[in-house]
Amino acid sequence: MSVTSFPLPPLPLDRRRLLIGGAGATAALLLPSLATAQTKLVIPEGNVAPLPIAIPNFVAGSPADGQVGADVAGVITNNLTRSGLFAPIDPAAFIERITDSDKPPNFQSWKTINAQALVIGRMSRQNDGRLKAEFRLWDVASGQQLAGQQYFTAPEYWRRIAHIISDQIYERLTGDKGYFDSRVVFVDESGPSERRVKRLAIMDQDGANVRYLTRGADLVLTPRFSPSTQEITYMEFGQGDPRVYLFNIETGQREIVGNFPGMSFSPRFSPDGQRIVMSLQQGANSNLFVMDLRSKATTRLTDTPAIDTSPCYSPDGSQICFESDRGGKPQIYVMPAAGGTAQRISFSKDDVNATYSTPVWSPRGDYIAFTRQGGGQFSIGLLKPDGSGERILTTGFHNEGPTFAPNGRVVMFFRDPGGNSGPSLFTIDISGRNELKVPTPGFASDPAWSPLLS
Amino acid sequence: MKLKVDKTIVASAALHVLVIGWGVISFSARSLEAPPPESMPVDIISADQLSKITAGTKTGDKNNPKPLVEKVADPKPVDDDAVGKITEKKEIITSSAPQPPPKPVEKPVEKKPDPPKPVAENKPKDEPKPVEKQPDPPKVDPIAEALKSEEAKKPKPKQEAKAAPPQPPKPKQERVFDQTKIAALLDKRDPTRQSITGAALNASASLGTTHGHAATLSQSELDAMRARLASLWNVQPGVEHPEELIVTVRIRLNPDRRLAAPPQVVSTGTSPRYQAAAEAAVRAVLEGQPYNMLRDESYDQWKYMDIDFDPKQMFHS
Repeated sequence: MSVTSFPLPPLPLDRRRLLIGGAGATAALLLPSLATAQTKLVIPEGNVAPLPIAIPNFVAGSPADGQVGADVAGVITNNLTRSGLFAPIDPAAFIERITDSDKPPNFQSWKTINAQALVIGRMSRQNDGRLKAEFRLWDVASGQQLAGQQYFTAPEYWRRIAHIISDQIYERLTGDKGYFDSRVVFVDESGPSERRVKRLAIMDQDGANVRYLTRGADLVLTPRFSPSTQEITYMEFGQGDPRVYLFNIETGQREIVGNFPGMSFSPRFSPDGQRIVMSLQQGANSNLFVMDLRSKATTRLTDTPAIDTSPCYSPDGSQICFESDRGGKPQIYVMPAAGGTAQRISFSKDDVNATYSTPVWSPRGDYIAFTRQGGGQFSIGLLKPDGSGERILTTGFHNEGPTFAPNGRVVMFFRDPGGNSGPSLFTIDISGRNELKVPTPGFASDPAWSPLLS
Repeated sequence: MKLKVDKTIVASAALHVLVIGWGVISFSARSLEAPPPESMPVDIISADQLSKITAGTKTGDKNNPKPLVEKVADPKPVDDDAVGKITEKKEIITSSAPQPPPKPVEKPVEKKPDPPKPVAENKPKDEPKPVEKQPDPPKVDPIAEALKSEEAKKPKPKQEAKAAPPQPPKPKQERVFDQTKIAALLDKRDPTRQSITGAALNASASLGTTHGHAATLSQSELDAMRARLASLWNVQPGVEHPEELIVTVRIRLNPDRRLAAPPQVVSTGTSPRYQAAAEAAVRAVLEGQPYNMLRDESYDQWKYMDIDFDPKQMFHS
């Protein structure tokens, strides 16, 4: 599914705004010399409120494109709303009706409804059957175009276009890369709790386009995305011991990773996608090993009489965080990627009996997310790689399995309320705000977020 | 069965509706925008301290209202006021405003030699007074002299007639013929005196206020502006390295409390996150207009402002 993109040039400014701009430029030149003894005001606190943004339906290039124009605007609105950083304005409040995406909008009518940003776009079918999408992002207060792009793709990928535009808007207004053009692989659970059928499934990050990857004959656990996004690795209970598998999403091919005696489990890709780090069972214990996918060479990383599991590379590939009970109870440790001395980094301040598990390193490197168990509760939290700054994002009967969005600002996890019901997927901002349920067709657990597709 | 409707009730109801409707429309005016009053420093003291202080402040209180008035009216009543009162003024001036004292100290020394020649002739009897008169109207010397001469007319018309003969004698010669013209001239003098004194009053009053409060932005003005900007400044939760995202925006405001030019980001940063933060700060400044909490008197203080948007404290952890 190829999408080609070209930047849209900024619209020519009309005369009035040129004049204002010119006046502004001269005034700006004068300001530093004149301003010698100005008052200094410090604003130490802002408003952690979502940014009001207006996303009118994209203009239809032809009458037949009306639906897709509305759909694209709808997907963008949903993405930005779910991010918690934007507050799309109800279209019922719109004053100006956008009919031409090539004309600058009447900014006053958007200021009136308190929009700070405005997205205007057009969807049009080309003669060769492809879909052309254009959008411009406007700063309402200054009347400046912040971004503009056009895309060409097959009509069935309109949703992907909407995600890519969402990412552009997110990136331009927050300064961070977006995460909307990404997918999530998870374990779909169906059937009664005593005979649960678990299937591998993949979907867009917003819950659309669910596709099942396995038929559910065998139990699957801990799927993980490759940085190349074409492959996933997971553990499956087959006829014998649980094994680590490699699965190509595009072709549907799968293979066993290595041929080891005993269980192999808890796999994860290295940042370059060339290696898989995992746990191998050795008697009652397990140790960490890394296998090169090309040469199949396997290297031992730990050698302890304990259960070492859930390894995860740092984004630069230099370190590995993992879970180990070598100290008595499961805790999180960090060691060099080639093995060596491991440092324990999880120390609960309020509960000495708390255990830490499922560590996962943020793609931006600043945090390690974990599941903490203590006092009959499961929490999802973050701590820095040096063990400082522990923060709990959410606590409840059962929360587990955090995974980071590609930009490291959102964590997805699963929550099981217990009883006869089943687990569901949730997202939460790394600041602990904006907890949201992710729509899935049935029960779902063990999510793993893909990198950005583009 | 027809319902009988009392016309008076209908009329009464209609009248009520009218009156209430009128009230709803006319009373639902926009709320007045009042600049917040200046904050007052408050000290908490014990009863003992109070009893001690009240003894002192009695005089202080008595003095305080007077000096303000006297300062304002200094040029006028100097002649009328007793010597004793003036000494009180001095104390008050030194205590309340630090700037005035140096002036009287310097100027009397200079003026003592000066005045004796021109003024000493006119007022040999007012030996204690000149010391006070001269410090007060140093900047307004010609006006003050004119005032003195004019006011001196009332008690001592003969002396002043001598002092200011050059002009009157000529008109006297001419105007002796028409009394109405003299009256007209006299009438003109009075308003001119008043206007001068009025101007002097205003000037001294403004000086007084500048010494008192107006020259500096009051804390409540700044707080109100800070609150306004804080409410409009959108900060993203979970942004990486917020301590690097301190944005300084330089603004120039017109007296109408609106921006005279687009806000200028004077701090620097290269990352896209910084650009987004800078734009968010500029957006807040643009949206905050007009800054009605700022007072006219302190325009010089808020004409140029540097505003730091610092999210550090929001993300301690």
